[in-house]
Amino acid sequence: MTTGIEHMKLRKSGYFFMFPAGGLLASAFPAVNMIFRTEMFINSPGEPYRILMNANWQMMAMLNVLLSVCGACLMYYIEYSENGAQKMEVLPVSGGNLFLGKFVIAAMELGVLIIIEHISIMGCMLYWFPSHGIRLTEFLKGIAFQWFAGLPTAMLMLLIASACRNMWMSLGTGVILVFVMSVFTQELSIFSLFPFSSPFCIYESVVENHYLLFFLSVCAVETAVFGVGGYLFQEFRRFIQ
Amino acid sequence: MNYFSLLTIELKKIRRSKILLILFIPVIMIWVPGLVNGDMIFDTGDIPIAPENNFFIQGFMGMAWFMIPASLVICTVLLTQTERSGRGMLKMLSLPVSMGKLCFAKFTVLILLSLIQMIMSVTVYYVCGTIAAEIYDYPLLLSFTDTAAAVLKIYTGAIPMASVFWMMAVLIHSPVCSVGAGLASIVPSVLMINTKIWFLYPMSYPFYLLMVEYGRAAEGIYESQIRWIPWLPAAGVITLGTLLIACIKFGAHERR
Repeated sequence: MTTGIEHMKLRKSGYFFMFPAGGLLASAFPAVNMIFRTEMFINSPGEPYRILMNANWQMMAMLNVLLSVCGACLMYYIEYSENGAQKMEVLPVSGGNLFLGKFVIAAMELGVLIIIEHISIMGCMLYWFPSHGIRLTEFLKGIAFQWFAGLPTAMLMLLIASACRNMWMSLGTGVILVFVMSVFTQELSIFSLFPFSSPFCIYESVVENHYLLFFLSVCAVETAVFGVGGYLFQEFRRFIQ
Repeated sequence: MNYFSLLTIELKKIRRSKILLILFIPVIMIWVPGLVNGDMIFDTGDIPIAPENNFFIQGFMGMAWFMIPASLVICTVLLTQTERSGRGMLKMLSLPVSMGKLCFAKFTVLILLSLIQMIMSVTVYYVCGTIAAEIYDYPLLLSFTDTAAAVLKIYTGAIPMASVFWMMAVLIHSPVCSVGAGLASIVPSVLMINTKIWFLYPMSYPFYLLMVEYGRAAEGIYESQIRWIPWLPAAGVITLGTLLIACIKFGAHERR
């Protein structure tokens, strides 16, 4: 029910336009890169999926993270502007459930974004690497992994946005976290496990380093911890703020 | 009300906003890795660059690519939200204030905030550079003239981008959409500086200027001369055009 309410609130806010539009922009990166640097990529050794991901995923993931930040800010901006949050409090719905409802929508939109981006990558693979074919199972695993790796960031950002009444404050915090994590995470390291950094990790690199299960477990724990934190914060917000 | 009175009022409006803190944190975060991890400064791989230049370039790389544009986007949100929350704009419209002047005063505040961040950047660079020089026993600081000139150039190069972001914030009434568009426009600047039409994309200017500095410090990495033509005319037209549109359209939504 709460997810339905959230969907209705966001319907005219531009939220559902923002993610597919961002997905289309991100989809242009691999195509543009391939058009301008065709020879370099075609002659690179390795699987086409990996070549394309290595060349483009940092930019695409950055866009995904920034959209997650904006999306979370928007979700709570419409809540706090015109005292919407106080109006919700008089309804028989719990703030914690609304928080989780928002997360369900954020996770779904992140999935849409990643699917659009992977369709573009698949198009590039079929056009520029026709002889290699596509290993569909690995490709789908890649989509699922990139989606799952983005969930802690989406959840933490929602938690931050829910705690800040001024949108520019949550936006500023989110942008600083994106920046800080991009400074610290130059390669696969302990920092890659943190939110705002995990979405930049590529499925094949994690598999190659044999910590797929560990990585996914950490992401699941982070998502759950931030989820519980956000739920409790919303339940007790009126006593805190 | 004249322009300077409006400017003073705008500065008063953001006095308690803690925006300086938001601008200061990334400046600190840039130099921490350089202090903690000395290998990053001295291990230049195949790139023929002196450690002091590497320290400067690596530090300002994140600023020029991401943090300067992102800070400007955040500041535009702050400046528009001061009017839009609590129906501030309606109150301003009832006063004998020229909307164009008010818009330009807000843009000046945006540039002022950017200038403050620039001063913070140079100060923190010198503080961290001095500490790093003591730790690694190597003079890591460039001369003040070189540093100031390079950083001033990068921040001046951000003015056209600031005017584009400001126009977007004025035209797009939903703050989140203008922020989304602003932040999304930062990402392709890496691609854009490698194309022939980089001068049409203001978000890539600071990064381009830094890459030119990089090209001067490390031969063959990038161009070592700024292509003033056609950059300067393009930047001038973009800045004036976007600023003019912003000043004309400022408050149009509330006047309807």
